[in-house]
Amino acid sequence: MNAKANVNKVWKVISKQKAVIAIIALMVMMLFSDTTFYTAYNWLDMLRSTAVLEIVAFGVTVAVICGGCDLSVGGTLCLGGILAVMMVNNGYPIWLAFVVALLSGAVVGFINGFLVVHQKTEPFIITLGMGMLLKGICQQLTDAHPLTCTSLDFMQIANKKFFGGIPSLVVYMLILFILFFCLLRFTSFGRNCYAIGGNYEVAKYSGIKVVPIKWTAFVISGVTATLAGVLLASRMNTGSSVYGDTTGMLVNCGVVIGGTSFAGGVGGIVESFIGLFVIQLLTNCMNQLGISGYAQTLCEGILIVLIIGADCFGRKLKRERV
Amino acid sequence: MTKTKQNSVLEFFKQNLVLCGIVVLIIVTAIAEPKFLGAANLNNVLRQLGPLPFAALGMTFVIIAGFIDLSIVGIISLVGVITVGLIDPLGQGGALLVGILLGAFLGWLNGLVLTTCGAMTQAEVLFITYGMSSIYMALALIYTQSETLRLAKSEKSYSIFTTLGSKNLGIIPVVLILFIVILVLMHLFLRKTIWGRAISLLGGNKDAAYLVGFNVKSTMRLAYTINGLMSGLASIALLSRVTTATATSGTNYETNAILCVVVGGTTLKGGKGSVLRTMLGVVLITLLGNCMNMLGLSTYMQTVMRGTVLVVAIWLDNRKEL
Repeated sequence: MNAKANVNKVWKVISKQKAVIAIIALMVMMLFSDTTFYTAYNWLDMLRSTAVLEIVAFGVTVAVICGGCDLSVGGTLCLGGILAVMMVNNGYPIWLAFVVALLSGAVVGFINGFLVVHQKTEPFIITLGMGMLLKGICQQLTDAHPLTCTSLDFMQIANKKFFGGIPSLVVYMLILFILFFCLLRFTSFGRNCYAIGGNYEVAKYSGIKVVPIKWTAFVISGVTATLAGVLLASRMNTGSSVYGDTTGMLVNCGVVIGGTSFAGGVGGIVESFIGLFVIQLLTNCMNQLGISGYAQTLCEGILIVLIIGADCFGRKLKRERV
Repeated sequence: MTKTKQNSVLEFFKQNLVLCGIVVLIIVTAIAEPKFLGAANLNNVLRQLGPLPFAALGMTFVIIAGFIDLSIVGIISLVGVITVGLIDPLGQGGALLVGILLGAFLGWLNGLVLTTCGAMTQAEVLFITYGMSSIYMALALIYTQSETLRLAKSEKSYSIFTTLGSKNLGIIPVVLILFIVILVLMHLFLRKTIWGRAISLLGGNKDAAYLVGFNVKSTMRLAYTINGLMSGLASIALLSRVTTATATSGTNYETNAILCVVVGGTTLKGGKGSVLRTMLGVVLITLLGNCMNMLGLSTYMQTVMRGTVLVVAIWLDNRKEL
């Protein structure tokens, strides 16, 4: 009996911190290989490569905590980047391009929110359909060609270096990280999000305005996705409809890997950050070890199945105990 | 008397809004473009039916059971490349058989993974099957090393595939006859056998299915195995039609299959629906594609249209239940 209780306790700790354990395991593994893994350059590069996905994940986390999910972020990201590049190429100022791109994200988020929150549809499949729709719009806008930006200033945004060597994307990511952390931790909006995700009915009867708040969460998710899209376009100096093909799935998986559950009400920005970072770390390790791209896809698939499977398994054990 | 009749007509329209919309579009196209009803075009439409009906048929079972499956992308791709690869060692009959069985096995594997983790909500199922899909696709990539496999390169005869892909019996393509036979069998299976009824019951109410004494896990595995089998057949149909197989040939089949099922009127909430309705959905979606080609819409606009139809269909399906 006692042994079983101990096993349960250990299992609980493992299932809560599985992303951290994965990070430690990977880092220990890399100690035994002769690569450039443990260099400041590599770690900064990892942070820079993952920055765009992290920014998308911050917004998605808010939606997931509310008990939703946003798979359309891939399409939204694409749309934001393309709109910004088109605006800049047509001679509009960069700030206006940003505003228009973010507005487009807000509109997408608003529609998602309407369908999911107001009309109470299942968020997973409807946002998947939305992503497909947006992809089509992006292809139509660019004729499926990559759109190169002609403005050097626009390119500078994401390719600058601050404080003698820190990539600007990392700085933006950190600023947004702090912003979202405070939003979820220290504002009534954030607390209400957790309440809604935890138990929708109870939150409703406690007098929380559930519909507008959850709706806002979807708008936030859309806006951050477009912001990430503009930054990606600036980094690559192109807007293209091929960006973001797997973003929606990858980001949502990353959020869950970190420990934010689709059941809603648990998790946070720190967890999502770690979750997305695990994926990046795994890719980096495999690159360093010279594993082929195909095997990398395989490993990613196995990682997703294992971690989300473990998530389900934990909940199954919980159900059976009750 | 007339009033109730009027009401029931109105009710029918309300229940099948998307269906009616597409029918109107088809009629408009037929008027605007007389060639639409010409023998050449209708023959073309019959041919285009190819692989999609199989995929949609399998998806119907999973959706009726109350789940969803994104892994058919991976299954279709993997079965296609393995089948071509096996023609030389096993001969065409053996390759065909192994291909179809491999599809069923991969579907069963999905079911096994899902039941082992105890995945019960659509979110969990969605992400795990997505992970499985990337695993299958990675295996296909490793097998082909990204090369296109051609039927014409195999040393042994591959007449079954060419017969399936391009021969007609009268005016009806051979593959369509095969499909109709399977459709009838599957319809009888779903309606008349205890296993078919169990799948419907599982989608209607999981707890009730458990309490009545059905084995929920094996019923779930059965639904996924049928989907895998059908995806295998879809893969063979696709291979016969285009005579090549690549590691990404299954792309987009998952959303298109879900689209057909939902447009046909099978609800995503599970429990209700029929394979005949899905057949209607497939015909309408194929005709819709043909209409858009006739009216000269770009492929990109067609993606937008499909996405819109998917989102609107899910939305209206959800409203029905309210």
